[in-house]
Amino acid sequence: MVINAHTISRGEAEGEAVLYKGPFSFMGDLDPFTGKVTVPRHELEGLSLAGKIFIFTTGKGSSSGDCAAWVAKKKGNAPAAIICLESEPVLSGAVIAAGIPAMDRPEADIFEMIKTGDFIKINATEGTISIAMHKEV
Amino acid sequence: MKLTDEEKRIFSGEQGPGMQRAIDLLIRLGDSFDAERLMPISYGHVSYDYCPEAFWNLMTDGVSKTEHRVTSHPSYQPKTWKKWGLPLADNWVDEHERKLETFKRLGWLRTETCAEYLLGIFPRKGEIVSMSGSCMQVANNSLFGARVDRMGTLVSLAAAVCGRTPYMGLLKPENRFARHVIHVEKMNFSDWTSAHFHCLGYHIGAVIPGFKPIAVTGLPERLYFDSARALVISMPTSGAVTLAHVVGTTPEAPDLEAATGGIKPENEIKVGVSELIRTWESLNVCDYSIVDHVAFGCPHATIDEIGMIASMLEGKKLKSTMLIGASIPVEALAKRQGYGKIIEQAGGRFLPVCPSIRNPFARRDVAGEMQATSCATNSARAAHYLATVCGTKVFFGTLKDCVKAAINGKWEGRFPEW
Repeated sequence: MVINAHTISRGEAEGEAVLYKGPFSFMGDLDPFTGKVTVPRHELEGLSLAGKIFIFTTGKGSSSGDCAAWVAKKKGNAPAAIICLESEPVLSGAVIAAGIPAMDRPEADIFEMIKTGDFIKINATEGTISIAMHKEV
Repeated sequence: MKLTDEEKRIFSGEQGPGMQRAIDLLIRLGDSFDAERLMPISYGHVSYDYCPEAFWNLMTDGVSKTEHRVTSHPSYQPKTWKKWGLPLADNWVDEHERKLETFKRLGWLRTETCAEYLLGIFPRKGEIVSMSGSCMQVANNSLFGARVDRMGTLVSLAAAVCGRTPYMGLLKPENRFARHVIHVEKMNFSDWTSAHFHCLGYHIGAVIPGFKPIAVTGLPERLYFDSARALVISMPTSGAVTLAHVVGTTPEAPDLEAATGGIKPENEIKVGVSELIRTWESLNVCDYSIVDHVAFGCPHATIDEIGMIASMLEGKKLKSTMLIGASIPVEALAKRQGYGKIIEQAGGRFLPVCPSIRNPFARRDVAGEMQATSCATNSARAAHYLATVCGTKVFFGTLKDCVKAAINGKWEGRFPEW
């Protein structure tokens, strides 16, 4: 099954999906030196996003989010790709500058169709998301 | 995107590799938001210390002095950190000096603050500027009516290098009307301090979906500048709001209709006492009462804020460390006024650094074993980043409770009664 989405930052990636139904910032939410979520009491606290396809609602927070994204990518601790419902300029600038494939405005309810643990492939240049394998329950 | 002849020449590399890379980044960002063109900026504002050096070098490669003004965000002060005995200060000296050297070569201005409007440097209504620093973006947009889009530190460097920014988002007058309206319920506003406004702004940022402009109604008209600033600056910490029309206070919002342009908003959200109580509690991430460090000046302190701190410190000695983030000119004024002496004799310190994300006392990579384990602050923005980026315990409360905590070395602040 293929879902179309709008291209923010070109590139291809595949990996395990991690979903979070809230906004995200590379600054403060993710430790670029470990790839782990750092927010106290956050539902993903302690989970590594490195190499994952991270799916969330939108960007937020400090304008230095792009610096943190750049460092995370250089250290190999960035998500393999991101998908969000609607991006904003700090998040978009971050993934474009750091070279993390990214899309927004998916044409289907991805929070319904994709679950954390599903293996998915994305082609952000073409603007497509494919669910390769649902996680076995 | 349509480019002018000069922009095409920059894109082709005629003006060097740095400008070519910078315009390429601006075009790619603009394309992703369907921007039709780039617009000249009145001035730019960059953060050289926050910018990874490899990226800084890529963007400034072959760039000569710019004709337009470029100013700077709070910087690192590794030499002062060393003087203060912070053990890892030396690790920061070389990179800081190299980037500063380029910054000076480009003829850029060392304002080193996230509150440049306190220095008399701010855009006029309608003026287009590009800047790093979500709290000055939202302040310049909201409090002065300038046209500033939300933008990251890397992109703002690209914009400063090229003197241009994509024509998108909040630069477009039609995108500046409030799409969400916050109705604040009637409360006893006469008791409110900056911390109360911070708490309200932090709550609003968290409940607004996305980054479209908002209007806030229900507050007293013509809010005191420090209160209006405290209200708007924490919104892009918990969320992404970069333009908040405070009805009756900010220039594009003499009334609600002007703020919304008469268009029906997507959301109307009520905020009352119960939401503020929960938010105030959530900003406190602590399980004991010892306070090692107190951080003021997020965003950089105003002279009134420093005056209030000084008024409580005459003849006192602090048990905790205290850092006041303030620009050099505001610090000079505080010293002229006699506030500086009182604060420094008590043990407080001034520095034009970021007292939250880059607070040298709270960062393990600067303070090492001397890192504060618990900090108190009157800024919601600082509370958020001290907990998440620096990883310290945090007490959030009023300026008075924070000063008391610095004197006693422990937290005795109470949640407000609203």
